[in-house]
Amino acid sequence: MPRRLRPNIPAATAAVCLALALAVSSAGCAGTDTGGASTASDERPRDEIVVSLGGEPEEGFDPITGWGRYGSPLFQSTLLARDNDLEIVNDLATGYEVSDDGLTWTVTIRHGVCFHDGEPLTAHDVAFTFNTAKESGSIVDLGAMESARAIDDATVVFTLSEPRSTFVVQLISLGIVPRHAYGPEYARSPVGSGPYRFVEWNPGQQLIVEAYEEYHGGAAEIERVTFVFMGEDATLAAARAGGLDVAAVPASLASQVIPGMRLVAVASVDNRGIMFPTLPDEGETTSDGAPIGNDVTYDVAIRRAINLAVDRDALVEGVLEGFGSPAFSVSDGLPWSNPDVVFDDGDAAAARALLDEAGWTESAGGIREKDGVSARFDLVYPADDLVRQSLALAVADQVRQIGVEMTPVGASWDEIRMAMHSDAVLFGWGSHDPTEMYNLHHGALAGREWWNPGFYRNPVIDAYMDQALAATSEEAALELWRKAQWDGVTGISGTADAPWCWLVNLDHCFFVADGLDIGPSRVQPHGHGWPITADITDWRWE
Amino acid sequence: MTAVLTYLAGKAFRLATLLAAVCALSFWLMHISPIDPVQAYVGAEMMLVSPEQRAEIAERWGLDEPPIERFALWAASLAQGDLGTSLIYRQPVSTVIAERFAASLVLMGTAWTLSGVFGFALGVIAARYRGTLTDRAIRWYCLTLASTPAFWLGLLLLMVFAVWLGLLPMGLASPAGVRSDDVTWLDRLRHLVLPALTLSVIGVANIALHTRQKLIDVLASDYAVFARARGESETGIIIRHGMRNVALPALTVQFASFSELFGGAVLAEQVFSYPGLGQATVQAGLQGDVPLLLGAVIFSTLFVFAGNLIADVLYRAVDPRTRAEAPA
Repeated sequence: MPRRLRPNIPAATAAVCLALALAVSSAGCAGTDTGGASTASDERPRDEIVVSLGGEPEEGFDPITGWGRYGSPLFQSTLLARDNDLEIVNDLATGYEVSDDGLTWTVTIRHGVCFHDGEPLTAHDVAFTFNTAKESGSIVDLGAMESARAIDDATVVFTLSEPRSTFVVQLISLGIVPRHAYGPEYARSPVGSGPYRFVEWNPGQQLIVEAYEEYHGGAAEIERVTFVFMGEDATLAAARAGGLDVAAVPASLASQVIPGMRLVAVASVDNRGIMFPTLPDEGETTSDGAPIGNDVTYDVAIRRAINLAVDRDALVEGVLEGFGSPAFSVSDGLPWSNPDVVFDDGDAAAARALLDEAGWTESAGGIREKDGVSARFDLVYPADDLVRQSLALAVADQVRQIGVEMTPVGASWDEIRMAMHSDAVLFGWGSHDPTEMYNLHHGALAGREWWNPGFYRNPVIDAYMDQALAATSEEAALELWRKAQWDGVTGISGTADAPWCWLVNLDHCFFVADGLDIGPSRVQPHGHGWPITADITDWRWE
Repeated sequence: MTAVLTYLAGKAFRLATLLAAVCALSFWLMHISPIDPVQAYVGAEMMLVSPEQRAEIAERWGLDEPPIERFALWAASLAQGDLGTSLIYRQPVSTVIAERFAASLVLMGTAWTLSGVFGFALGVIAARYRGTLTDRAIRWYCLTLASTPAFWLGLLLLMVFAVWLGLLPMGLASPAGVRSDDVTWLDRLRHLVLPALTLSVIGVANIALHTRQKLIDVLASDYAVFARARGESETGIIIRHGMRNVALPALTVQFASFSELFGGAVLAEQVFSYPGLGQATVQAGLQGDVPLLLGAVIFSTLFVFAGNLIADVLYRAVDPRTRAEAPA
């Protein structure tokens, strides 16, 4: 294996780069104007890195079939983007406007952006991308969009079938493909306007990409990136052998020491929490025959008491070995998260008082009872997930202190599907799209697919979330999402309706070569690995 | 001439029924497995993909038809030589298999040759010096290998040669970051060593022990005793009287090992991140990619069947007795 060069980049170079970036971004398309800028950039010190992040996209690199929804689409650029604080910023767009009825979104496209093949990127490519994605029958769900239409080269108009503030997430996540170069082979030889050009992909082995000099956001510092696709064990071994510069590892392996590399633990909303059935058991079943309701978790006092009694810091230390943070909502740290949902947990005394007040009296066996119902229920977790198993056992231990018995039960996803309307389930979520919060808590979605399996319903919350979806400005939507969590009176938080008891947010762990600066990473969504590439253009050798 | 034709027709009939049975069984197993391909594809996005969109994905993949019809459709297009399109790779199954098998073939071929040559040689040496320390050492070595899981041995080799000694690469089929046009044969060879060595281990013990036993029998036979009485050297006896007799069991074991080779390749490719057909088959199974899995099943069936067929044919070439009896 050839050794990579790792020259030190003097501080002055950063300034040169910045100047260059500005020069390049204002330049025309490749082939039409390759003046002084590219000549100068040839002298820039460049080098390459090898990374193992797992998660090879087997279907290729076509955004229309779902590529790039986590992290950076790498080869393509998107209309909007999130910065490291997860604020929405322009990428290809220079701005967007939503009509008062929320049905028409007008996006203006910046001028002078080119695809890697030198062709200019226009509004026609944008409209083509969205319309093709809508028809593709893939993971890209554009159900709310009626059509996308380019008015001129720089303006595209999206027509929605109903107001949908979360449509902005599609503008953030869908990479724009070139109309002139899109076809069946596109996924295996992608052309876009993103920070990196496609060089080669050996499926099952590696992906090689090179920085795109004319990238409108400023050419990336790292000249060449190789993504190798290896399992967790092989990744760790390769890191040890000195073959990797960035290696994604599970938290269970993160406490190892690898010479020449440092551990970077990135905060995430990759959360784990307990879902409670909120209906009483009245013998109802779903159309599949799954029983609905649980007489214990139906009582909001039980749900609140568990939320109070759980010591989340102890879970982070004991189960995650410190690689995580306490979770109080499905969206901790995201722009639509409400900071008021955080409370003092691990308070067994308060939890006991709450249960006493609600009429759950302690019986001989130490398990509370109310009206002949014993405070016992099953806590189901996917049996193949070690972290969730440990969490289930630890939480069950903690709530036994307040006289509630949760019995951890390992099950397959098939069994969980049948049990989730009548037993508590340890789920994991976490997305950069507030739609997730809507789907988990909206009364109209109760029992539909995996959404809102606890049949939680609160008309006030439903109204907030409906208004949030219908909002025509991002600010208004964020405010309404926050209100749904806690509006001062009610909410989905652990001290209010408590349909969930959120436990922890996992840290995503990476070993990073000494001297490689991967910047201040943003709070990551559920997927481990690729999301770290979201700001790959800022990575550089120190 | 007729005998040969009848023989071939019989084999073809067996192959056809075997393929039909294996495909139907695999399809049925995939059907009753709890893996929902749409769910496997949607994965972590499951909170964001609406039921309507799921239905659209299922429709695009043809999963909305009843299973019997799906199988019939698949079989009909197979009859026209179309293996269908892989769900996870979004490419024709034949392309995926061709691409992946090219890598696997080099790996399996090397391992197979190594285990055959090495195993046969060890067996002959052990029999020649039976009862001595050499024999005991070889037998000990074979039994240890036979009871070693291949993936574990792979990890061990990886730790020693790639991590501690740093002599050989950490897996993959070519160096990271080098375009395939720029990869040299030496590079490929270096990347092949560990997986091929791991895979070859599966066959070595088997062949060595079979060969040893047969050769000991031969050396105790009347004609070997007679040859010895005539003053022929032990080595001469082995070359002139032993080899042909011993070749039979060795050939059987060697060609029958095609199935183990295929199974072992799946493990070795996982351990060494080697991009072969085994790796693709595992992905297909885990993500409910029925067309690709069935394609791989057909392919591996053909592969194993071919192995047995070659053994049959070689028998006739090596041993005149089978030729004389030869009923179809």
